Amino acid sequence: MDKSKNGLNKVDVLFIGAGPANLAGAIKLKQLLHQKGLDQSVVVIEKAEKIGHHHLSGAIIEGDILDELLPGWQNNQEDKFTQQLLAGRIIKDDFYFLTGSNTAFRIPDFLIPPSFQNKNAYALSISELMNWLAGIATKLGIEIYTGFAAKEIIIEKGRVKGIKLGDKGLDKERQPLSNYAPGETIEAKVTVLGEGSAGQLAEKVVKQFNLNHGINPQIYAMGVKEIIKLPENNTFGRNRVIHTLGFPLQPDVYGAGSIYSMRDNLVAVALVVSLDWRYADLNPQHELQIFKSHRMIKDFLKDGEVVAYGAKTFPEGGFYSVPQLVADGAIIVGDAAGLTNAMKRKGLRYAIKSGISAGEAIYQAIEKQDFTARSLKRYQDILGESFVMKELNASRNYRQIFSRTGRLGNYLGIPLSFFQSWVPGKLDTKPSYEGMRKAHLKRQLIGDIDRLTAVSLSGTTHREDEPSHVATCESSQAGECFRDFGCYPCTLFCPAEVYKFEDGKFVLSPSNCLHCQTCRLKCPRQLIRWEVPEGGDGPRYRVM
Amino acid sequence: MNYIVLMKQVPDIKNIPEDAWDWDKGILKRGLLDNVCNELDKQAIAFAVAMRQEMPGQIVALSMGPPFADAVLRYALSVGADTGVLLTDRKLGGADTAATAYPLAAAIRKIEKDIFKGDRNYIILSGMQSVDGDTAQVPPQVAEELQIAHIAYATSFSISRNNNDNNNNTHLYIKRISRQGTQTVSPVTYPFMITITNWTRHPNATFERTRWANSQRLIRWSAADVNGDESRIGLAGSRTTVFKIFSPRDVRTRRCIFESDLAKMAGLLRDTYQSKSRPSVQETAKASYQLPKGKSPTYTGEVWVISEHDKDEIHQASFELLGKAQELASQVGTKVGAVIIGQDDPKLASRLISYGADKVYMITDDRLCDFHPVPYSRVVCELLDKYKPQIVLFSATPLGRELAPRVAYRANSGLTADCTALDIIDFKRGTQDYTAILKQTRPALGGNIMASIITQNSKVQMSTVRPGVMQAMKPDEKRIGEVIKYEPKLNESDFAVKIISSEEIPAASELKDAAILVAGGGGCKTKEGFENCIPALADALGRFLGEKAMVGASRVAVEKGFIDRGHQVGQTGQTVKPKLYVAVGISGAVQHLSGMQNSDIILAINKDPNANIFKIADLGMVGNFEELVPKLIKVLNS
Repeated sequence: MDKSKNGLNKVDVLFIGAGPANLAGAIKLKQLLHQKGLDQSVVVIEKAEKIGHHHLSGAIIEGDILDELLPGWQNNQEDKFTQQLLAGRIIKDDFYFLTGSNTAFRIPDFLIPPSFQNKNAYALSISELMNWLAGIATKLGIEIYTGFAAKEIIIEKGRVKGIKLGDKGLDKERQPLSNYAPGETIEAKVTVLGEGSAGQLAEKVVKQFNLNHGINPQIYAMGVKEIIKLPENNTFGRNRVIHTLGFPLQPDVYGAGSIYSMRDNLVAVALVVSLDWRYADLNPQHELQIFKSHRMIKDFLKDGEVVAYGAKTFPEGGFYSVPQLVADGAIIVGDAAGLTNAMKRKGLRYAIKSGISAGEAIYQAIEKQDFTARSLKRYQDILGESFVMKELNASRNYRQIFSRTGRLGNYLGIPLSFFQSWVPGKLDTKPSYEGMRKAHLKRQLIGDIDRLTAVSLSGTTHREDEPSHVATCESSQAGECFRDFGCYPCTLFCPAEVYKFEDGKFVLSPSNCLHCQTCRLKCPRQLIRWEVPEGGDGPRYRVM
Repeated sequence: MNYIVLMKQVPDIKNIPEDAWDWDKGILKRGLLDNVCNELDKQAIAFAVAMRQEMPGQIVALSMGPPFADAVLRYALSVGADTGVLLTDRKLGGADTAATAYPLAAAIRKIEKDIFKGDRNYIILSGMQSVDGDTAQVPPQVAEELQIAHIAYATSFSISRNNNDNNNNTHLYIKRISRQGTQTVSPVTYPFMITITNWTRHPNATFERTRWANSQRLIRWSAADVNGDESRIGLAGSRTTVFKIFSPRDVRTRRCIFESDLAKMAGLLRDTYQSKSRPSVQETAKASYQLPKGKSPTYTGEVWVISEHDKDEIHQASFELLGKAQELASQVGTKVGAVIIGQDDPKLASRLISYGADKVYMITDDRLCDFHPVPYSRVVCELLDKYKPQIVLFSATPLGRELAPRVAYRANSGLTADCTALDIIDFKRGTQDYTAILKQTRPALGGNIMASIITQNSKVQMSTVRPGVMQAMKPDEKRIGEVIKYEPKLNESDFAVKIISSEEIPAASELKDAAILVAGGGGCKTKEGFENCIPALADALGRFLGEKAMVGASRVAVEKGFIDRGHQVGQTGQTVKPKLYVAVGISGAVQHLSGMQNSDIILAINKDPNANIFKIADLGMVGNFEELVPKLIKVLNS
């Protein structure tokens, strides 16, 4: 590498993951640096091949958070994304209870707490939002590099020093191929971990620095989502969102459905399910198909064509599951920090706010040239005074209520949840995987999109001859699963059919993987290992 | 030694999003596809980097395209290039291959002058073809414009240093795929062009180097910067024009015929195979062109075929061209000429006549027995100047795909690569009004769309034609034809590449070359089951239908270890289009279907009558493969 200058593996501030929290953080930081005429390298790395490919959300965004990050953003007449976003303002917002496969009733607005309402927010694709933010970031001088997966956190002398990238060009046995490129280390004064839900570097930092002392274990939910192209004259209409409770989920499964209208007659149809479900044979992708078979939903989606599919997990432990978010040389933001609201089922606004707060704190740390946890703690202070922690505090025991209602599930949980804030102190959570029982839904396989077809609509690809990035138990141990659960749960709960059990052994298809990590979080015996595959691999979401 | 690598930004046809298809119009919306660097160009840059380790120097990456095509140059810098040059100008848009090659050649001259300071010791490298156009025409045409040698289908190189030599001469040897197998050649003069095919895995960029690449300033040149003649660039410089895009998928309305009787199935296989594998036959029956009254044809002259032969046998592909040429010539009322280059052998001429040539033009010179692109294109052009044919057809073989672009460029005429249909039509659009011209139809964007193309602003219409598509005439030994000999005047300097050795072993064939592919899936249950049935069925079908048959597999079969990954068909394996695809124990997940659904005939054998595979199969057998396949083999063999 003759002409390459040395020292390019050292940066000032390194953001891991080009998601909403990190892009907002990098933008805020660079804005502040520009104001003072300071020149610091702000670098974002992203494991997806292109920006937005690994991002999935509902998604609904409130305009106020964009006002805070990018004042006057809505005045850009030329910008296509801005115009699309403004055109997507939500006017009609309905909440339905689906009581059976044919029946539904609309919950009157006065019964819906204001925090559940979405009017005047914007429905959008988070993949497109990331592209828009990345464009703004690049113009500010932020360097964004895609196709680079951070694999390890480097901690030296009690300080986070940076990350190590994953190797590229290994074969299945981890032997170097002709294009082998060993993973480099990237050092930074501050490393911002915005890897998203269940980020493994953040987990490592939390563990290493004991940042989770006295808090609840994090719990998760997962969502499966389809983008459907509807005909011009569809009955769903524009500028509309609906949320549903009930069908097809059992009362004791915490989850909800939704349909959001998007640009060009596209709608986002999603089902989110909390991972503490007890049914060993629950297949979320298939539950989504059953959801779509409900008479009302079917009418909305009539003559629609599914054009994309994806899945992701998100944390929902809330207030009591948020760890300390700073260490010497490191900050944790967004989903990786557990900053989502299970009651509102939202995290995008919090993610952006946490990024902004991190940007402000890092800027102050740069001014002081002090990157210790004590200096970076400013981030947590800003966040603590903001709506993020206030709202999380207000719903601090909300999600836990639902874990305590047994078979009555939502029937008891919904009324009780109105009183959650009266509960003194902290209600505990149990890790999601502990919920599984030998209980079966025994679904008939129906629906227009089977799991493998869905996978192909996610566009996911992995180099077939790379080392497997997933591993499960030995096939010989699988018998215990069958004994305890009457089936092989991973072959069902994975939204991408990565796990198959055939002729007495596991056959894995890591190339199907959507990087949601449901497997790692839900495997009832915690024997599944998931690690970040080669940079550039994974789904290719464009309008998720 | 310095290096110039030609890089192209192409649509990502490996990852087509579902909403990019316009099913009503049957076309692909190009704008919704991602832009990526052409895979073979990534390999070309790796080739250059490897050469530089032996022969140090600068690597300049050159691309022509819109401003955002700079991404491919950043990639080139990130894996080893020193400088990136982007030729970008609205005036360059809409160019065909000739109008692309001309400004690229001009940019290369400018790089030689400005960056290499006049040093002519450099090598131009490029991928053999791009995945979008897939014509493989631009590199040979750049070479023709620069009047330099071109070594096509390079697969590796080696270097020998002669220590006894006082000049410390370094000899460069390039191994390439030739029509007989492989060949080792050595360049005599510099600069020259190498085009690379499947050489290695594309290089992975490091973070450090990527960051460096991102910080570099690229050189941007406009058409004026490279002193391009405006009549030879962009739309104005194009010698071909696409007038219609349509879907190849309208042929995909399959209905599966289930047949349980094995003998009947064998008969069905043979019948459908023979009818479907020659799609032009049915067209021939329909095709009859009538010259409109009061109009005279736009082009005049004979219809020519550039024939190919090995020693004393003409290639089947040339006979197929003659069949098509006869049909075209009779429609426009002219004669068929066949050109043969090499030794003076009257037997070859009479073979060409018996297959439909009315005249045989024999270019004889012993030095032309081996294919040398520079003198070949020169002598063919001399002949064109002298006899002025209206249509010249080449086979889309390695030789044809290398020779045709150079001839077309030299003759300042349009060329359409890899045609699958040729017809005579009248054409009127705007100011264009052509009578009795050649409509050339070819697949593009990886076979995802079909394009109909006509030649414009040219003296002659040229096409290369995919072997195996057209039908040869039945040979008639009594046919009479005229033999015209031509002895060219060649200099030693015309031979800029020395052929060191040739090996007549066919290069490792790929699945996509197979006419018949028998693929096994997870339904084969065990490795033994797969190995006992699939290769045997391939053998039997190959013999039964008289063509090359190979073994493929689904991803599940590969995952279960039945066979190695080189045989995998599907989204993450190879995409194949054989004439006959046999799927045994394959359920038909979309990931597999996307890799084989463009096959001409699909036979599915599966125990589940509701399996997805039957939805796209033409012929189906329901049952246990362990019983059915051995029985079918027996029937095919008898």
